Amino acid sequence: MAAVSQSFKTELLGAIPSLRAFAVSLTQNADRADDLVQETLVKAWDKHESFQPGTNLKAWLFTILRNEFYSQMRKRGREVQDSDGIMTARLAVHPAQHGQLDLKDFRGALEQLPEDQREAIILIGASGFSYEEAAEICGCAVGTIKSRVSRARARLQEILKISGEDEFGPDAISAQVTGSNAA
Amino acid sequence: MKEMTKKQMADAASRHWNGDGNPLGANSEIARKLKQYYDELVSDHVPDRFAQLLSQLEQTEPAQKKD
Repeated sequence: MAAVSQSFKTELLGAIPSLRAFAVSLTQNADRADDLVQETLVKAWDKHESFQPGTNLKAWLFTILRNEFYSQMRKRGREVQDSDGIMTARLAVHPAQHGQLDLKDFRGALEQLPEDQREAIILIGASGFSYEEAAEICGCAVGTIKSRVSRARARLQEILKISGEDEFGPDAISAQVTGSNAA
Repeated sequence: MKEMTKKQMADAASRHWNGDGNPLGANSEIARKLKQYYDELVSDHVPDRFAQLLSQLEQTEPAQKKD
């Protein structure tokens, strides 16, 4: 087994803040997130030879972390899955006033999303991955990622009671996802 | 292209890639909150345990794969 190179180690170190952010987004729990990151680093170290130099290390690490997350979820029996909006129903967020949406409310809303939608909107809207990269990370089609992002966005707007976002100017997406006459 | 028609793809593309290249819409409150939420997480202080872990992994090389 070849030794792990210094540059690989340095890049691993550099990726930790992003990995932790993604892990918190997935688990919604800081302790579980850090355990997940630790597990990811150990796995990445063990299988460093399967990483193709020159390809996207961050995407490779996110893939490992995500796989680990879902395998842990399966072991735990998916105890926290919000299947039919049970949690959403009891989430009482007051309507956002002129877009002054509180970050705490936003976090609460994000938590109500099904995992597949949450990870999609995070990968695309926050982690800076392309649709192709996100599809690669999630092991699904690009179109699937697109529709998950779309549904995530619509769901967030619904939970947060953002309808038209008119005060920010014309927004074709809002019009689409709210399904009608936002303009 | 397996799951969507060409028209759906084009619609989806135009829906997501408006504004300044932000797939969620440049002016969207959700896009901005999402960034804010995530950036806060990324800038969180990284506990020492991770650097220590990597040093440990380095010291135990070559990996024996015992456990």
